[in-house]
Amino acid sequence: MIIENSLPVLLSRLDFAWITTMHILWTPMTIGMSWLLFFLEVAWLRSGDERWYKLNRFFEKIFIINFGAGVATGVTMEMAFGILYGPFSQAVGPFFGNILGFETITAFMYEAGFIGLMVFGWGKVSKGMHLFATFNVGLSSSLSAMWILVANSWMQTPNGVVLKDGLFQVENWWHAILNDNFVWGFPHMWVATVELSLFVMAGVSAWFILKNRNADLFTKMLKPTLLALLIVTPIQIFIGDSVGKDVADTQPTSLAAMEGHYHTYLPDGKPNTSWNLIAIPNANNDGNLFQISIPHVLSLLETHTWDGAVKGMDQFAPEDRPDVWVPFYAFRVMVAIGFFLFFVALWGNWLRLRGKLNAESLRKSPWFLRAVVFSAFLPYLAIWTGWWVREIGRQPWVVYGLMRTYQGVSHMSVAQEVIWFLGYILFELLVWAGAWYFFARVIAKGVDGIAPSNQLFHHGEEGDAHAGGGHAQASFAKPMLKAER
Amino acid sequence: MDFTHDIVRITSALSTWWWILLGLMFLFYIALDGADLGAGIFALFSKDEDERGAIMASMAGFWDGNETWLVVAGGVLFGAFPLVYGSAFNYLMIPLMIALWAIIMRAVAFEFHVHARSSRKVWGWFFAIGSLLAPFFAGVALGASLQGFPMQNGLAMAHIAGRDYSTPVMHFSGNALTWLTPFSIWTGVGAVIAAGLAGGLYLCARFVPGDVIHERAKGWTSLFSFLALAAIVVTLVWSYAIFPWAAAKWTGSNWWVWAAWMIIVLFFAFKSMSNHSAGHDFVALLWGEGVVALLWAAMWATMFPYIVPGTWTIDAAANPANSLAVFTLFMTGFVPIMIMYNWYQIWVFRGRFTKKSIYAAH
Repeated sequence: MIIENSLPVLLSRLDFAWITTMHILWTPMTIGMSWLLFFLEVAWLRSGDERWYKLNRFFEKIFIINFGAGVATGVTMEMAFGILYGPFSQAVGPFFGNILGFETITAFMYEAGFIGLMVFGWGKVSKGMHLFATFNVGLSSSLSAMWILVANSWMQTPNGVVLKDGLFQVENWWHAILNDNFVWGFPHMWVATVELSLFVMAGVSAWFILKNRNADLFTKMLKPTLLALLIVTPIQIFIGDSVGKDVADTQPTSLAAMEGHYHTYLPDGKPNTSWNLIAIPNANNDGNLFQISIPHVLSLLETHTWDGAVKGMDQFAPEDRPDVWVPFYAFRVMVAIGFFLFFVALWGNWLRLRGKLNAESLRKSPWFLRAVVFSAFLPYLAIWTGWWVREIGRQPWVVYGLMRTYQGVSHMSVAQEVIWFLGYILFELLVWAGAWYFFARVIAKGVDGIAPSNQLFHHGEEGDAHAGGGHAQASFAKPMLKAER
Repeated sequence: MDFTHDIVRITSALSTWWWILLGLMFLFYIALDGADLGAGIFALFSKDEDERGAIMASMAGFWDGNETWLVVAGGVLFGAFPLVYGSAFNYLMIPLMIALWAIIMRAVAFEFHVHARSSRKVWGWFFAIGSLLAPFFAGVALGASLQGFPMQNGLAMAHIAGRDYSTPVMHFSGNALTWLTPFSIWTGVGAVIAAGLAGGLYLCARFVPGDVIHERAKGWTSLFSFLALAAIVVTLVWSYAIFPWAAAKWTGSNWWVWAAWMIIVLFFAFKSMSNHSAGHDFVALLWGEGVVALLWAAMWATMFPYIVPGTWTIDAAANPANSLAVFTLFMTGFVPIMIMYNWYQIWVFRGRFTKKSIYAAH
């Protein structure tokens, strides 16, 4: 344990944890929000209702800033594999490298191709073409999430491969791609992206209603958003439970860490069925110093029986156990947020049933609006904690059961690792601060400055640029024709 | 029956195919992003933020599309040649890290310059400096790769006793500064010159003749044309002197192919320069890009059969046959599609600009 967590290994892990944690701030919203923008655009085109158009253009601004930050931090991640985890990158190339290659070509490049059209194409391409571009941004970013989850899930449950000549050679592509963890892991992540985006949009809307700016417009936005959340939040809880059972089957050490479950059997020989609400694991990682627990709940949760045995940490050699602190508490935070968000969705729709979901009544009792604004931040925390549970629960393996983390890290000096780490802390914080600064600016500016849609195809005096990026004088539209030179 | 021989042949053919595609991806990146990086270097000398804004506006619709070719090249490298990906990135940590910071600086500047009021100047400088650092360190990384790097098997962290630290693969065994040589610094400078020229040609083609940016870009382009010709000569002579694998190929029995190739390069350069003087800006840009493509192809051909000269051959660095086959099945069809919609994207945003066309709110 001590050797495996020598300083260079620990630094590599921390570096990568930081990079992933900062990257996952951005991509989920890109994935979820692109679909929501698509639906707003459809609503506008079908109903001709200008309000949907305004909302679309407004949320698109937030989307773009978010997308830029996501790409910048994403490129960092791609390079970090090769730089921080060189031997890992080499060994997992035949499967993992392939999958990341698929991701860049079938998803990343695909997305980049259409996002320019979506963002700058207003008034330059037809409405139908623009809708098509938006749809493709949604599809490609979801594909991207799928490939990334294939790769990460495979690290959790490396099916379909055999380690030969230092490489993970693939024996069965379908088993490797549709690995045990992927089946529920991908839906869990994808639904999280939708839930996050819905709550961000609902939160921004609630803020506007609170401030009494364009309150009717944003109430119109709030209604379908809350209805969607009533469906999405319980589904997410159900999927989360399925992921948990999956982890119990395939990664018992991770489950034991998540639950702070050290002793499979009690001293009297009966299964230890207690679920720990609070626990303080000891430094040797072989028991809890203190715990508050409820009997039978763990067995009910994991085996769906009254007193089924659940494998505890004592079933595994000390050097094969992950640390408990982070998985245990991060897991609890994630679950609590999941239920709280479900409650907010219920609350909103209950108000709607009673006819109180209009700007006037909402402002009279602002607690619901405040709860929604607060809820816009919670999914971020839930995604963070969920990802930490996943990644720290897998330790000390980088590919579960096959390759240990220390075997995968690059052999760099501590100085190199520190320079890299400090540099990226600085840069990612800069990206983060910049993005939030401009989110605030976009929100402060509001929707009133957005030109009506009938001005989309109207180009003004030559030389002046309009919304949609700079455009050219008509006479230069075909600069390469010889006759015009 | 023994299929071993066939499998070796298939692996070899597929890996060579992906090596060619990899070269193509890098070429797309250099040719496309080179132009907008160069325009960013030009922006270092801009008089005010409106000029920088106009330069950013001129590439608004596709700079991110251009940059993604680098990510795609990285993806192909990981997917087809993971052994290079895992060892070369380790070797090139410092230059790649700085190039990456530069790219992030640019990306952030693109996003924020539009929205900023008081901080516009800061983002303008971020854009310009990022545009300078990215090609410089990318060039350094290229030069360093041409030099090859030391590899080692076995114990990863030998200084930690008591446990088997062997890794399942060979890994980079030099230190943090192994990449730093006079030659790699020179290739960095060369990359800046090349980008500067591409940026000048691009700006001439993108701005209305008579506009202040167009006028200054014209002078800039003429200067950089000569710098670039000198840089080509220096690089060729230097490479000949220090790389036996290059010298052997260039003066071997096929010397006349290389000589003819150089003459074609010179012809393209001449056409680019003469079209530029005649004011045929777009045509000059195309001939200029032709020079880049020809030189890149020549470099790639000189390296064959190595992917990292002296360190990794194409065959040794490639994935096993079944991975390559799956990769080929999935990916090859996407390459023409990607090229098509990139072309469409560039086409939608064609047309010329003036200094007044600032990067407007989107």
